[in-house]
Amino acid sequence: MKIFVMGIGLCGTFPASGGQSYRELIARAASQAYSDAGITADQLDGAVSIEEDLISGYSISDEYVPDQLGVVKKSVYTICGDFLHGLNSAVMTLKTGQYKMLVVEGYSKASNCLTKDETLTFAYDPTFNRLGVSPHYLAGIEMQQLLADGKYTKEDVANVVVQMRKNALANPQAAYGTNLTIGDVLGARPVAEPVTENMIARHADASIALVIGTEEVVKSAKNPVCISGMGWTSGNSIIERRPHNISEGTKAAAQMAFSEAKIANAKDCEVLYVSDLYAHRALMHMDALGLEKDAIERINPDGGVLGMGDLFEANSGARVYDAVQQLRGHAGTRQINNAKKAMVQGWRGLPTDSCAVTVLEA
Amino acid sequence: MTKMNKRVACIGAGMTRFVRRAQESTGELASLAVEMALKDAGLTMNDIDSVCLGTAPDAFDGIHMKGENLIAGSGGANKPYMRHFVGGGTGVFSPIHGWMHVASGQFKTCLVVTEEKMSPCNPHPAGAFKTIFDHTTEQPLDLTLIHIFAIEMARFMHKYGYKEEELALISVQNKLNAMDHPAAQIAQQITVDDVMNSKLLSWPVKRLDISPTSDAAVAIVLSNEDVARAQTKHPVFIEGVGYRLDTAYWCTRDLAYPDYVELAARDAYKMAGITSPEQEIDIFEPYDPFDYKALHHMNGLLLDKSGKKVKELLFSGSFARDGSHPLCPSGGALGVGNPIAATGLMKIAELYFQLSGQAGKRQVKKDCRRGVAQAWGDLMQVGTVVVMGNDEAVRGRKTFWSEAVPEQLPGTAIKNPQDVPHMSYTPDLRYSWDNGYALTTYLDGFKNGKIRGSKCSSCGRMMIPARSFCELCNLKAVEDYYDLPDSGTIETFTLSHVDWDSSMLPDGQINMFAVISIDGAAKKMGLVHRLGDVDPKDVKIGMRVKAVWKPENEREGNVLDLKYFRPLKDGEAIGEPKRIKPVEMDSTTAKAFPGQIPMSYIYTAGIAGAKFYNDFAQGRVSGTWCEHCQKVHLPTASFCEYSLKKLDPTKDAREIDAKSGVIASYTVVHDDRSGHQMDKPQVVVQISYPEAVGTIFGKLETSDVTAVKAGMNVELIPSRTVGEGLMFKTC
Repeated sequence: MKIFVMGIGLCGTFPASGGQSYRELIARAASQAYSDAGITADQLDGAVSIEEDLISGYSISDEYVPDQLGVVKKSVYTICGDFLHGLNSAVMTLKTGQYKMLVVEGYSKASNCLTKDETLTFAYDPTFNRLGVSPHYLAGIEMQQLLADGKYTKEDVANVVVQMRKNALANPQAAYGTNLTIGDVLGARPVAEPVTENMIARHADASIALVIGTEEVVKSAKNPVCISGMGWTSGNSIIERRPHNISEGTKAAAQMAFSEAKIANAKDCEVLYVSDLYAHRALMHMDALGLEKDAIERINPDGGVLGMGDLFEANSGARVYDAVQQLRGHAGTRQINNAKKAMVQGWRGLPTDSCAVTVLEA
Repeated sequence: MTKMNKRVACIGAGMTRFVRRAQESTGELASLAVEMALKDAGLTMNDIDSVCLGTAPDAFDGIHMKGENLIAGSGGANKPYMRHFVGGGTGVFSPIHGWMHVASGQFKTCLVVTEEKMSPCNPHPAGAFKTIFDHTTEQPLDLTLIHIFAIEMARFMHKYGYKEEELALISVQNKLNAMDHPAAQIAQQITVDDVMNSKLLSWPVKRLDISPTSDAAVAIVLSNEDVARAQTKHPVFIEGVGYRLDTAYWCTRDLAYPDYVELAARDAYKMAGITSPEQEIDIFEPYDPFDYKALHHMNGLLLDKSGKKVKELLFSGSFARDGSHPLCPSGGALGVGNPIAATGLMKIAELYFQLSGQAGKRQVKKDCRRGVAQAWGDLMQVGTVVVMGNDEAVRGRKTFWSEAVPEQLPGTAIKNPQDVPHMSYTPDLRYSWDNGYALTTYLDGFKNGKIRGSKCSSCGRMMIPARSFCELCNLKAVEDYYDLPDSGTIETFTLSHVDWDSSMLPDGQINMFAVISIDGAAKKMGLVHRLGDVDPKDVKIGMRVKAVWKPENEREGNVLDLKYFRPLKDGEAIGEPKRIKPVEMDSTTAKAFPGQIPMSYIYTAGIAGAKFYNDFAQGRVSGTWCEHCQKVHLPTASFCEYSLKKLDPTKDAREIDAKSGVIASYTVVHDDRSGHQMDKPQVVVQISYPEAVGTIFGKLETSDVTAVKAGMNVELIPSRTVGEGLMFKTC
């Protein structure tokens, strides 16, 4: 059974979005996606939201999903993962044959969360891993190991930031486009050495909605894009026994997705996105996908997380939004020539190695 | 909706004991349930293609992204793994998500795990429920879950004419049924009088109307039909699934009847080919966190808004285990316990035990072909329903589960987490929520002594709180705002003796909360607020009330500007809705509302952590030998995350030379846990030992951070501090 992205919506990204409630932010992206899909909300069978408790300030966050998507009393559930986990789950739902059309939604109101590092610290294992210091310490450990392998230099890591922030300049929806030098990045305030402030994505507000459907209902959409492969895998959550110089989660997720999409590797895709929540992670993810470091120039044409901002669970939603624009030929000045296949890799963020990969085809 | 693609069967189940406080850590609880489920299914982790986890709020276990923390204990390491979430409905949604994994054709097998450890939550797990309410319009009222249950229970009693002692019959029955359940936490033989005489918490809710808070984990193995037939002669199939989520604006609904359960049940019945649930379903496991809830949900499961069928079945004794419609033969949440997500899956496991003939003493009298389990959650909002069935009725099988006694189930009950190695932690979780366009005008109304609504030009509803789109009209923009009369009618209410954190209010203090439909708004459209200037015994559903406002100079533009509602006096005038200009948004009017999650935690170090920190206090390091991996795991482990085999941190301990540690990786950290720059940077090190697989993370005591290098030899600095106390020094 083939599943298609029928419509997309993105409201954001903004460094802050005062004047709009989270409900209003989400309703706007949902309305865009429904219009793009040529449907109204009442035609949907349900929704899959991607969200985690506490970020929003709620301790049962899934309650606040149906209203602003217009799916009250429909079949709605929440996935606590990266946006791609939710998208992949929604695809499975459609493949059971129970439903034909769903909306998949993720959002960030990061600007409303006043203690983001504290919240991330709270994600570390209380028995062994809360060390009373910045939760970015694990990024420092990872980057140190990555550099120790000798395949990458500090300058390579810094170049990821330079490239992503530059890409974001060409994206009118990106919050953090700018011109930086490698020296700027390396000379920025150290947070968890060798990780500097500029190597960590800043947070942003945004909402993303996708309408996905089966072949039976895809006709209403003018520009559908096929979801041809999906995979997801979590590396060990016991960080003491997980390698920190490679992303095992990405490697396994990619194998699953590529097998389903019937492609040999990531190089078969014209458009590529990897999670760059931390600059060194982009290189780790590329390595797991079999991409050399000079491929960085082809990665994340939208500016990635470094350029568009950290949207928490919604991060890969912004990448999928751009991938669909690219495959439709609607990406404007950042359009990649002859874009027929796109691969999006997503990562849940520290302290995890929970990763997902989705392949899309025009 | 079409018929399901592939048949999916449950072929194994495992669970820990349900206890008020478990010594095991979050991951350890999950691992124990998983090991049992695999054994019951006759499979190993190698046979498991995918894992999905259901667990309710992060705020219980006290771990943000707790699904990620649970990967190892759930068997998800290096597997396709996902966590799903629908609040309290998560337990019965868990097999639905597992069903999706298999019925989609994506996987042959899926391990479905649920876990809840509520005991770390302080001062009481109930406090975590304060922050399930709308942060701007409801949380300032200091509501918690018991209040909303009591409000719903009062409405249910009013609409269906139940007396409190009639509802108590469910508590009596379920606790009795639980006496035969090996995992049960509060099985007991009690009477209706016991329930009636138990402590009044929030009228009409009394202590024995409520299920307890619990720690536990439950796991099941789902597979496609081919795998199921190969593994067992008695597979139990998932025949139908349904899940529905209603609006978060819970004061706009008649709480007496769960539409969301009915809709979910209709989805599941359609898939299962059921047209008359009363005749075609043999066993019912509705969610019963409170006694009335089982009946409330049964109305929805029997698709009977009149409530007559359920009343007849209750009063005729048909819900007994030997009755025509056995209800909660497991003992339910009221008897077995209520570790939210794990409770729902316990009910699914009960259907599996009953339908595969291995329920032992709990086996219902009638031959069973079909059962239904249901869970509920969120703000009286979500219904999740699963119908399970077998090929033919089977009973009397002698298996582990038919003979199981409490001593055979894992899980270590403790009285107090402070009796074992533990750590205390208070996260600083603070927020400032943008009000947005609609709430800016709504809250400005409070500052001006007005209740404001907005009107949808499509459906014509006048809505409270004001919103900028209509959730029922395809998100149509709503642009007309009105000042409404500040009077209304009590739809339902509670008279509460408990505060938001479950502590008792001072003697004589009663907090009265009511759902009030506001004059001029659409029918049933209302808000929740406090009552005052009225004797509690005079409060009635249908009572007319009027707002009492703070003096103008004390109002701040939030819901507490309205002090409470008092009885409307005879002949007192009521105003008319008046169209107004909404507040213009600019940098002075675009405000945000402050709040926090006010919880703190005491975590047990778990079985492995206790051994680790006991060694650590003596300057020793020991790992745990894993027969499966043929390696020594470090840190100490009570299970192998790849085989999910149980390990014994004491018996399988392997002493490691504490001075043989070397720095595998390190980082110089400049910020504290909250992101504030520290005066002096600290070095975090990852230490490896030649004899072991794994490392230890800690901080390095050093006066020169620039001298730190990978490969340096270090040793532990003994300490009795658990958690942040892990310190090393160079040898």
